[in-house]
Amino acid sequence: MGVLVGIDVGGTFTDLVVVGPDGSVEVTKAATTPDDEAEGILAGLGDVAAAGGETLAQLLGRTDLVVHATTTADNTMITHSGAPCGLITTEGHRDEIELRRGWKESIWDPTVPAPPVIAKRRFRISVPGRLDHEGNVLTPLDEEAVRRAARRFRDHGISSVAVVLLFSFVDPAWERRVRQIVREEYPEAAVSLSHEVMPAAPEFERTSTTLVNSFVGPRVVAYLQRLVSRLREEGYSRQVLVMQSNGGVASVDAVCDRPVVTLASGPIGGVIATAAVGAATGVSDFIAVDMGGTSYEACLVRNGSAEVKSYWNWVQRYCIALPVVDVVSIGAGGGSIARVKAGGLAVGPESAGADPGPICYGRGGTQVTVTDANLYLGYLNPDGLCDGAVALDASGVEAAIASQIAEPLGLSVLEAAAGVHRIVNADMNNAIRRVSSEKGQDPRKFALVAYGGNGPVHAPAQARELGIGTILVPRLAPVLSAFGTLTADFVVNQVRAHIGQADQIDLSAVEADFAEMRSLAEKELAGAEVDIGDVEHRYEFGCRYPGQTFTINVDVALPDGHVTEAARDVLVSRFHELHEDLHTFATPDEPVVVAELRLRSWTSARKPPIPPAPPPEPGDPILGSRRAWFEGDVVDTPVFRGPRLGPGHVVEGPAIVEEPFTTIVLQPRQHATVDDFGNYVITSAGGTES
Amino acid sequence: MTATLEPAAGAGADEAAVDVDPITAEVIRGAFETVAFEMAQHVSLAAVTPILNQSNERNASILDARGRLAGLSVGIPQFMLASRGPVRFALEFFGADGFEDGDVFAANDPYHGGGHLPDWNIFAPVVSDGELVLIASIQCHHGDTGGDTPGGYSVNAMDVWAEGLRCPAIKLVERGVERRDVLYMLQTNNRLPTYIADLRAQMGAANLGVRRLKEVVAEFGADTVRAAVDYSIALTRRRIREDVAQWPDGTYEAETFIEHDTIGNKDIRIHCTATVDGDSLRIDYTGSDEREFLTTNGTFGNTQGMVLSQFCTMIDPSIPKNEGLFDAFELVVPEGTCINPDNTRPVSAGTHHPGVEVSEALALALSHAIPQRCQPQVYKIAIPTVIFGVEPRTGAFFVDQSVDTTSTCAAASSACDGWGGTPTAFGNLILATAEINESLLPHRQLGRELMTDSGGAGLHRGCPGARYVKEVTAQCQVYTWVLGTKYPCPGIAGGKAGSASHLYLRVGGEHEYEVTHTAFYVQHEPGEQIVNEFAGGGGWGDPLERDPELVLEDVLDEYVSVDGARRDYGVVVEGDLEALDMRVDVNATDALRAEMRAAASSAV
Repeated sequence: MGVLVGIDVGGTFTDLVVVGPDGSVEVTKAATTPDDEAEGILAGLGDVAAAGGETLAQLLGRTDLVVHATTTADNTMITHSGAPCGLITTEGHRDEIELRRGWKESIWDPTVPAPPVIAKRRFRISVPGRLDHEGNVLTPLDEEAVRRAARRFRDHGISSVAVVLLFSFVDPAWERRVRQIVREEYPEAAVSLSHEVMPAAPEFERTSTTLVNSFVGPRVVAYLQRLVSRLREEGYSRQVLVMQSNGGVASVDAVCDRPVVTLASGPIGGVIATAAVGAATGVSDFIAVDMGGTSYEACLVRNGSAEVKSYWNWVQRYCIALPVVDVVSIGAGGGSIARVKAGGLAVGPESAGADPGPICYGRGGTQVTVTDANLYLGYLNPDGLCDGAVALDASGVEAAIASQIAEPLGLSVLEAAAGVHRIVNADMNNAIRRVSSEKGQDPRKFALVAYGGNGPVHAPAQARELGIGTILVPRLAPVLSAFGTLTADFVVNQVRAHIGQADQIDLSAVEADFAEMRSLAEKELAGAEVDIGDVEHRYEFGCRYPGQTFTINVDVALPDGHVTEAARDVLVSRFHELHEDLHTFATPDEPVVVAELRLRSWTSARKPPIPPAPPPEPGDPILGSRRAWFEGDVVDTPVFRGPRLGPGHVVEGPAIVEEPFTTIVLQPRQHATVDDFGNYVITSAGGTES
Repeated sequence: MTATLEPAAGAGADEAAVDVDPITAEVIRGAFETVAFEMAQHVSLAAVTPILNQSNERNASILDARGRLAGLSVGIPQFMLASRGPVRFALEFFGADGFEDGDVFAANDPYHGGGHLPDWNIFAPVVSDGELVLIASIQCHHGDTGGDTPGGYSVNAMDVWAEGLRCPAIKLVERGVERRDVLYMLQTNNRLPTYIADLRAQMGAANLGVRRLKEVVAEFGADTVRAAVDYSIALTRRRIREDVAQWPDGTYEAETFIEHDTIGNKDIRIHCTATVDGDSLRIDYTGSDEREFLTTNGTFGNTQGMVLSQFCTMIDPSIPKNEGLFDAFELVVPEGTCINPDNTRPVSAGTHHPGVEVSEALALALSHAIPQRCQPQVYKIAIPTVIFGVEPRTGAFFVDQSVDTTSTCAAASSACDGWGGTPTAFGNLILATAEINESLLPHRQLGRELMTDSGGAGLHRGCPGARYVKEVTAQCQVYTWVLGTKYPCPGIAGGKAGSASHLYLRVGGEHEYEVTHTAFYVQHEPGEQIVNEFAGGGGWGDPLERDPELVLEDVLDEYVSVDGARRDYGVVVEGDLEALDMRVDVNATDALRAEMRAAASSAV
């Protein structure tokens, strides 16, 4: 048994989690090197090796697995610095990406400009050749037109080409032929075929997803290849796996075939890790919430797996219609700015970030932030956060809250500070309601798992407002994203259009389609050369009533992959049930249309166990007390030092627990128990909230 | 002569039983928006008709017990803002006591608060301790609504009765018990077998809204919720007045025309006078067309929604949308004009025209005062080309309202070129696609590319219109009405109008022709095409001020031709377009622009 290394690259820090053969967990932070994330990673690994008294080569030599969540694709989109892109598409349809099905982000503001362009119109070239919806040829493909397009790209250095032909998911032959022609004319060009990126309708979503793949692809591929070769140079010979936005990991080779799958994978490692922590502590239905400095992310987790959404996902104003862990993000964090505009108090989405940051950071910030309000309310240690690593300076906070918020609203300073706290909680609770209600779920039936530097400051109060009974604050909170990469399954997602009425589809054709997808998945999983267990498959049918657009995924157990009459009956009745659950009604008299077959294939890599709680630090856990605001009053509140609490210790609210990574603000009548893993499990006296 | 068909609820002192602090009011307002979002989302996911589940033509709002708008969601602004009318009628008719726990109402009548018959409002009360506190309302445009023409746009109707089933306010569910008789009657009066399924999606959304709003009332108490509604409305009213106070005082006028109605009446006039005086604003449509037998009419509720949707794009976009909008300014719409007609007139197409001309006239009038805030929220399509027939694959009757992806009238604004194919306010209307609709309906969508030189020239260029080609694959009937051929999408602040629109039917055979006003049940045979050249968006600002390098980029991307660059922008571009080897002739451009400026000033 060797070492496992999980790496999460963030905006400022690269987190490395190193799990030893004995299950021990070591954590290192290195500065992120945005131009080439590999350098920061190697520097961090070097630090880990040095701390253990060995060379980098020795460490890598005994490492079994490196798993990595990269932000290269996201950074490429944020800075709009991808490859020069061209598009070859079906005649008449080269402007789909500009028309966007008419959709706009803001219906109230005409001054919002168009999104930055990925492929200029002069390099979006439509070619004759048209299939109908069943794949019959209406007009033959004009290969000369394709050739001319390829030459234009070559002549102008358009080195990344997206190919999106209508109904290519029914018959992909033409797209493959286009790739062949482009390679003949312009061998250096990268080519993305839409049926490989997203083999499903409709054309706008597929065009957008494929163009983004073309745009971010070359940089992601170059980066991953450089990372692998740098690790090889330093003595690592095993597999490098990459986090995908679907919540699973995949081999570098598989990711390089479809680099768009790394987009938006950043926050997902944390969600996956919460599922592992939850599994260890017996919490399997929860909402994972991550509150950092600028944003708040919420994700619904049911039966231990994060919800995945496969349509209408938007990243940097482009639609990505691939399975993405459904994380809702809003602009609410510690640095979010609170301000009054003509009598109304709003918090965020503008953020003071880390620089200048909140007023209390003393780095020149002048606008009141959530963190300033929390400090004034007594929730944060005035001497500093993170064991003093972040110094705080309360001077100036009171005056700023008074002039910027209290006076314009006619409130006391305390009411104003509490108002900031309540508004941001309400905004975050609305995000939680959205992630749960979109799935037809009542948030009161879920726990909250709160992390991020500011999550546990707010979660206990939020839970009270939402009527949520249990809150879990994982001890691994500071490194959840990096740890999560190691707990993710190895996942291959596939989709195939297969349109027909459930009572009429050819079961043997469905079985054959699934068999083919299964063998592709097994090939990819076997190629990963990791210590894999048995491959498991989840068979899903994307179904809808006639006329509906969005499908519901119905999973049906197919023992040995056989699609039987009985399976068909299960599919139909299960669809009606799910429709009732999600949309409050079902129409069992209506036929059920199958639109897509989806196969999710996975295998668990060797997952590290959740490490047990370390022995508590010596000393009295109660540090003292301070005045803090609860339920409309300022009360003397005991302050605990978290690392001095051990398993079984119970803290009664109201109380404040200071951890190096966060502060837990326990509300009255809540109590927190430290479990065997060092997690805080917070429940309400009497069990339920009112 | 001035009318508002408004019940007396609107402006005036708000009386709340308790005080509410601004923080609680804001928290409750945010909860309303979330509930409205959930309701709209529910319809998108659950409805079966493309116009609802693909196109998002579903508008959720929350009203208080006096029928005042308390919050709304994503949707189409003009319809969201108009959808409170039918609820107000039901409140008058049944009284607040008639809104009982477990009731679900339906309403669609244009002369009882609605816009046109295909827009069905479904709403349900939130009752607490026996008292009505809030109403959750969801309005959707349905694929059919009975009447003489499939699809709800009756181009030949001479009165409202011909347009379909009128339903001022009825209960679909009474205290939790579904009225089978009523639902069956509604289905019987509708051509589409999917109608009830869509209605059920709406009922589900209303029930969801009620459930969630009851939680809000339980958390804060009914009195606090009422006080929060008052507070938010007063705040919106105040914020709008603060915005208006910054506009220059004066009286600003504009008019626009609809070139013809469906029976040949020409040049139907919409006239708008906007008077800014300190923080007060009066918008007056006196002078609009009063001819007796116009077939292009819009109800007062529809007109008000159009005024508000335009107005909302002219104020700070962060101002919460609620009843405060309605009483922040004075609106005068004389009775007997085509935008507040007597209650017999046909109005099915009025949600489009004269609806959007109401918006357009307001944008044009205020462009003399606040041009930087003006982008006309218009589309010059008259009605979509409605296609109906029998789908050969299933043998079922179909209506295709052609809410397909295209580009028309996406005008520029003071900050950017027009983009995205729709004016800003319609950006929630998600348009249909070839790959989905060809699997459902007997047609092929063969193209929708932008047309060179069709976007209005300006400092900021209008988005070009699209040339849209649809080929039918089964025999079917087409009806429509065409506009934008004579009065295109206007430019603002010196910007030029976008291109005019053209519609050709039965293209590809010997029977091809251009529709100049209406088409009624034009039978198409398989293989014939419908070709729409949609009007381009208007420009914003003087095209002679546009950076010549941006014009060059537009030429390279074929948004603008070499000739168009010279003619519309005074920019001389030379070189080889095919080779993308082009440059601006700076001296020739300077000379041409000087000449054009001189010609323009001497013309004035």
